[in-house]
Amino acid sequence: MKRLVRFEINGREVEDAVSDNTLLVDYLRQSRHLSGTKQGCDGGECGACTVLIDGVPRLACITLTASLDGAHIETIEGQVRNGRLSALQRAFHQQLGTQCGFCTPGMIMAAEGLLRQTPDPDDAQIRAALGGNLCRCTGYGKIVAAVKAAAKGDTTVSGADLARTAGAGS
Amino acid sequence: MSAPERPRIAGRPMPLIDGPEKVRGSAKYTADLPSEDALVGRILRAPVDHARLMSVDTAEALALEGVRAVITGADCDTPYGVIPIAMNEYPMARETIRYRGEPVAAVAAVDAATAEKALGLIRLHFKELPAVFTTREARAPDAVQLHSKKPGNLEREVHHCFGDVSAGMAEADLVREASFHCAEVNHAQMEPHAALAEYDAERDHLTLWSVSQVPFYVHLTLARCLSMDSARIRVVKPFVGGGFGSRTETLNFEIIAALLARAARGKVRLCLSREETFLTHRGRPESDVYLKIGMSKAGRITAVECEVEMAGGAYAGYGLVSILYAGALLHGIYALENVRYDGYRVYTNRPPCGAMRGHGTVDVRHAFECLLDRMARELGLDPFALRRANLLQAPMFTANDLMVNSCGLQTCLDKVEKASGWRARRGKLPPGRGLGMACSHYVSGAAKPVHWTGEPHAVVNLKLDFDGSVTVLTGAADIGQGSTTMVALAAAEILSVDMSRIRVISNDSAVTPKDNGSYSSRVTFMVGNATIRAAEALRDKLIDAAAEKLEADPADILCQGETFSVRGSQQSMLSFQEVVTAALAREGTITCKGTFSTPLKAQGGKHRGGAVGSTMGFSYAAEVVEVSVDEATGQISVDKVWAALDCGFAINPLAVEGQIEGSVWMGMGQALSEETRFVGGLAAHANLLDYRVPTAVESPDIKVFIVESIDPLGPFGAKEAGEGALSGFPPALVNAVADAIGLDSDVLPMTPDRVLEALIKARRAAARRRIA
Amino acid sequence: MSAPLPEFTLLHPHDVDAALAAAKAHPEARFVAGGTDLLVNMRHGIGAPDTLISLSRIKALRRISATDDGLFIGAGVTLAELARHPVLRHYEAIRDAACVVAGPSHRNAATLGGNLCLDTRCLYYNQSDWWRHSNGYCLKYRGEICHVAPRGKRCRAAFCGDMAPALMVHGARIELATADGTRHLPLEAFYLEDGAAHLVLAPDEIVTGVYLPPNDADSARSAYTKIRIRQAIDFPLAGVALACDPVAEGLRFRLAFTGTNARPVLVDLPEALDSGANDATRDDYFNGLEKLVQRSVSPQRTTTTQPHYRRLAVAAMARRLAVGLAAGSAAGSAAG
Repeated sequence: MKRLVRFEINGREVEDAVSDNTLLVDYLRQSRHLSGTKQGCDGGECGACTVLIDGVPRLACITLTASLDGAHIETIEGQVRNGRLSALQRAFHQQLGTQCGFCTPGMIMAAEGLLRQTPDPDDAQIRAALGGNLCRCTGYGKIVAAVKAAAKGDTTVSGADLARTAGAGS
Repeated sequence: MSAPERPRIAGRPMPLIDGPEKVRGSAKYTADLPSEDALVGRILRAPVDHARLMSVDTAEALALEGVRAVITGADCDTPYGVIPIAMNEYPMARETIRYRGEPVAAVAAVDAATAEKALGLIRLHFKELPAVFTTREARAPDAVQLHSKKPGNLEREVHHCFGDVSAGMAEADLVREASFHCAEVNHAQMEPHAALAEYDAERDHLTLWSVSQVPFYVHLTLARCLSMDSARIRVVKPFVGGGFGSRTETLNFEIIAALLARAARGKVRLCLSREETFLTHRGRPESDVYLKIGMSKAGRITAVECEVEMAGGAYAGYGLVSILYAGALLHGIYALENVRYDGYRVYTNRPPCGAMRGHGTVDVRHAFECLLDRMARELGLDPFALRRANLLQAPMFTANDLMVNSCGLQTCLDKVEKASGWRARRGKLPPGRGLGMACSHYVSGAAKPVHWTGEPHAVVNLKLDFDGSVTVLTGAADIGQGSTTMVALAAAEILSVDMSRIRVISNDSAVTPKDNGSYSSRVTFMVGNATIRAAEALRDKLIDAAAEKLEADPADILCQGETFSVRGSQQSMLSFQEVVTAALAREGTITCKGTFSTPLKAQGGKHRGGAVGSTMGFSYAAEVVEVSVDEATGQISVDKVWAALDCGFAINPLAVEGQIEGSVWMGMGQALSEETRFVGGLAAHANLLDYRVPTAVESPDIKVFIVESIDPLGPFGAKEAGEGALSGFPPALVNAVADAIGLDSDVLPMTPDRVLEALIKARRAAARRRIA
Repeated sequence: MSAPLPEFTLLHPHDVDAALAAAKAHPEARFVAGGTDLLVNMRHGIGAPDTLISLSRIKALRRISATDDGLFIGAGVTLAELARHPVLRHYEAIRDAACVVAGPSHRNAATLGGNLCLDTRCLYYNQSDWWRHSNGYCLKYRGEICHVAPRGKRCRAAFCGDMAPALMVHGARIELATADGTRHLPLEAFYLEDGAAHLVLAPDEIVTGVYLPPNDADSARSAYTKIRIRQAIDFPLAGVALACDPVAEGLRFRLAFTGTNARPVLVDLPEALDSGANDATRDDYFNGLEKLVQRSVSPQRTTTTQPHYRRLAVAAMARRLAVGLAAGSAAGSAAG
C-alpha cells in the first residue's frame, strides 16, 4: 500500500507517495536519485547507507520510508554548502580518509552525527562512533585523522615519514 | 632524456584527484548509473554442491508476465577463464554443477518482484554427486572427479628445485620443520558486484558497465562467450568500490548481464547481493604449508623445502598462477641458494578461489617468517639479526632467475626496529604483552603478460589541445588505490605543468587505450613508465616548437614551471600557452603515445612456470606488531603496528601511506578474525556479520615509514606499494603472541577460540611434563 | 536495489490502546519498533506479515521515570538514549550493555523493548531464503528438523540480546499490555528455553517497559561484558551480567547470561562471599563461581565458534567481573 509522506530531505520539503515496504535506501537511490547513499550488505551489517534522521545516524537499509513522516533526512549530497565541501568532506579528501570511496558517504554521515554531539572527540570516541561503518581500504587510521582534522578545522595535507635513501643498493 | 634530478611534483603528498566526487557522494559506481529504463536481472543459483544437471525448465518463468528473458547454460557453450590454457568455467553451469551457489540460469524482468518470482518458476532437474570440500577428500584415491582430464582433482602440480637442497640441509647446524594451516579468506570489498549491460539490437552493439579491475579481459571474454566481434563491444569501468583481486578476472555475472541484455534486446541491470558477491568468491584459498629450513648457527639459511596444498574451489581461474607464485616468491627477499618447492592446486566443490592482495605469497610468507622466528629463538638470535644475516644484495638474479634491481629491506628493518623500541622492549613487556616482527615483499607487475600478443605491457595516450589542457587517456583501472592520481602526477612532473591542467580519462574501451588491468601491482611501474614516455614525447614536441620560436637549439630549451626558456638566457621566456599555440600551429591538436615493455631478462627463468613471479622490481617491507593477549578468553588485541615499506620512490606519499596502512590492516584481518566457513559446500559466512572484517574499534594505529631505494627501471624509481606489506602482518602477529604468552600457533586466523584451545593444550602438555 | 520486502501495511498508532486494537484487527500483524532485528530478518525472507504495527510514535513508551519505588524505562526508549541517561548511573550493567549492542547507528534506532524481544539466532536461521531452502528449512521456520541437534525436537537457536541479562541481575520486572490490561513478570519469567518460541508474549500483547528496584551507590554494583570477536557490530558469542550485593554475610552475586541458551539464564549464587575471607578462600569461591557458570550455560552449535569455547570464555569473564566488583566493593567499604 502507498501513502503520502511529507519530510525534508537535505533541507528541501518533499511530499511523495511511498509504498509501506519501501526501504529508505531504495527510496533515496531510486526515487530521489540520491545515489551517494550506498548499499554494501544485505541489511544492517556495513554502515554504507548511514544517513542522518533528525540529526542522528541511522541505517537507511533497515529503515522504512513510510515511517519517516515529518522527519528531517540528511544525506551526503546535502553536506555541500554553496558548492563547497563540508569540513568533514574536505578533511576526508585531504587526509585520504577515502580510497575507493564506497564507504565514504556513510562514514562521513556517521562522523557528522558524532561531531554534532561531540565537537572535539578523542580517538576512542571517533573509533566507537564509526564502529558500525566498515571500510576495506584504509585500515581506518586516516579516517580517524580526517575526523580529528575536521573537528579542529585543520585543512593541511598530511605526509608520511619518508626515508629517502636514493641510490642505496640494499 | 633529462638528467635524473629530484622530481618536483611527483613525490609530494597529493589528495586523490577524484576525491571530491567521492566525498560529495557524486561518484557514480556501477549500481548508481541511471537505469530507470533497465530491466532487472537476477541469477538462479545451484542448491547443491555437485550434481549432474539434467535439464533446466524455463517455460513457466518465460510465460510469466513481465519476464523479458530467461537464459541458462545452454545459452553459452564457450568456456572462459583468465588463463588461456585453463579455461574451464561457463557463465552458467551446463552439464555439471560444481559448487553450491553456481549460477544455473538467469532472468531479466520489468521489476525486482517479477524477477524474483520468475526464479521460483524455473525447474532444475539434477542428479546429485558426491562432493569433496578439502584437499584431503579431493585427493583421496576413490574421490569423485570434478573435471575430466584432471585425475586426483589436481588442477596443477609444481615441482621446482634450485641449487642442492640435500647438501644445504646437510650443511645446516639447525634444521626445523613445521606445518601451517591458513583458512580461506575473501576480499570483502565494500561494493557488492554489479553490472549494467545494454544491447543495441539495431547495430548489434553491446555496452557493459562493470565493477572490473580488468575491463580489457572482460572485453575479450564477452567477445568470446557471446561470439561477438570485439569491435561491437564497449566496456566501461565507472568508479569501483574496491577490488583487492576479487575482480581481476572476468566474473560470471558480467557475462550473464551481457547475455541477458542480448536475449532481452535491451538494458539489464544486475546487482548482486552481498551473499551472491561472497558466492562469486575468488579469494585466497585455504592452504596447508609444510616448511623445512636449514640454518647455520649464525642464522644463515642454507636450504629450504616447502610443500603447499591449496583447496582451490571448483574452477581453474588463476589457480595455476597462485600455486606457481607460492613457490616462486619463496625467492626474492632473502639470499637463498637451495630451494625445493612442491605445490598442489586441488579442485574442491566450493566457490572458485582466485587472486587476492598478495596473491600466492601470503600463506607461504606466513609459514616462513614464523619458522624463522622459532629457529632464531633456538639459536639465541634476535629476529632482526636473523633477517639481516640473510639479506640479498641488489642488483642480482635469484636462484629461480627473478631480477632484483633494488632492495631497501635493510632500511625498512632499521626503521621499525628503532621506532618500536625493539631492543629495549622486546621480551621485557609485562605478562600477556609482546612484540613480533616479520618481513615481506611483492612483485611490481608480472613481467610476462597473461596474453602473449607481443604488444607492450602498457600504453598511455596524451592529448594536448587549444585550451592548453592535457588529457591523459589510460586503461589503468583506478579501484581506489589512486592510479588515476599517479598518472596525473607523472604527466605533470614530466611536462612541468600545474596539476590543474591535467585531466585523466580512464577505462572506456571506446576512448582509452587498452590496459591489462589493475592486478599484480603492475600499474605504477608499467602505466607510470608509459605515462612518463608519453609525456616526454609531448614535451619534446613543445620544446621543438619553443626552440623554433626562440630561435635556439632544442637541446638548450629549459622547460620548467610552465615556462620555456633558453638555457643561460634570462631575456626570452615563453609561457606554456604561447608554446602550445606554436606547437598546435604546426600540426593541430597533438596526441602522443607512450608505451612500456618489460625487458626479456626480467621475464623469469626458462623452467616450466618460470614466468610467474618474474617482475620488474620487488617492494620490501618490515613490520613490528605489538599485542596484548587475554589468556582467559583468548582474545588478542593489536596495540600498535610499525610498518616500513620500500616502494622505490613514492610518487604520491599520501597514497603510498594509505596503501601500506590498508594492506597491513588487511593482513590483520586475515590474522585475527577473517575466514570463510562452510556447512559442507554451503557458505555460512556470506555476510558481513559472519565474515568478520575488522571494525574501527579494534583496529590499531599503524605507524608508517616509506623507504625509497630508487629502482633503476621504475618510474622516478618507483615500485609497488599496495601489496608488499600485507603478508608480513600475520607472521609478525603470531611471533608477537609467542613473545607475549609463549604460544606458537600454526593456524590462521588466531581467533579467540583457537587461541584458548591452544593454550589449554599447552597447559595440559606442561602438566603432563611436570608429572613425568 | 534491495530484494523487495514482502508487501505489508504499516500502521502508526499513537497510543498503546490503539496499537493493541490494531493487533486484534490484524491477527497476522507484527509489532515493530526500531526495526533493526525484524526488518533484517524480513529482508532475509523470514516472515511475511501482512501488517506491521509501528510502536515508534507512542510517546508513553519512551518514558523514563525515577521514583522512590525505583525506575521505569519505557520499551520504546532507544539504546542510545539509555546508554547516556544519567538515571542509569547506579545500574552499570544496564549502561554497559546498552553501549555494546551492535553498532552506534543500530543503537540510535533499536529500542529496549526490541532488544528484550530479539529473535533468537542461529547459523542455520540467520541466512537468506536461498540458503535455508538449499540447506533444508529448519524447525524454527518452515522446516521440520533442527540442524544444530537433528535428533532433538526443540529449536536450539540462541537468545543474543545484551539488555536482558543486565536487567535481570538488577531484578527487573517486565510490563506487558493487552487489551484486557497489563501484567508484570520477573524478567526471567518472560523467556522460555525454546528457540522457536522463546517469549511468553501473546501475539496481541506488547512490552511496554521494565521496572527496576531502587539502586544507589550503597547497594548493588554491576557490570556487563560480552564475548565477541570484533569490538563492534558483533552479537555476543556469549555475554554475562553480574551484580554484587552487599549483604550481612558479605557479598551476594547474581549472574545472568546471554548467547548461551534459547533464553537468557539467571543464576543466583547460593552462598555469599564472606567479607572477611582470606585470599585462598576468595580464590576457592571464585573458582566455584567459574565452575558453576560452566555448568549453568549450554551453548550449542548455533555459531561457527564452538560451544565449548563460549562456555569457557563466558565463565572466565564472569569470574573476572566478580573479582573486579568484589575488589571494588571492598575498596568502597574500606573508603566508607
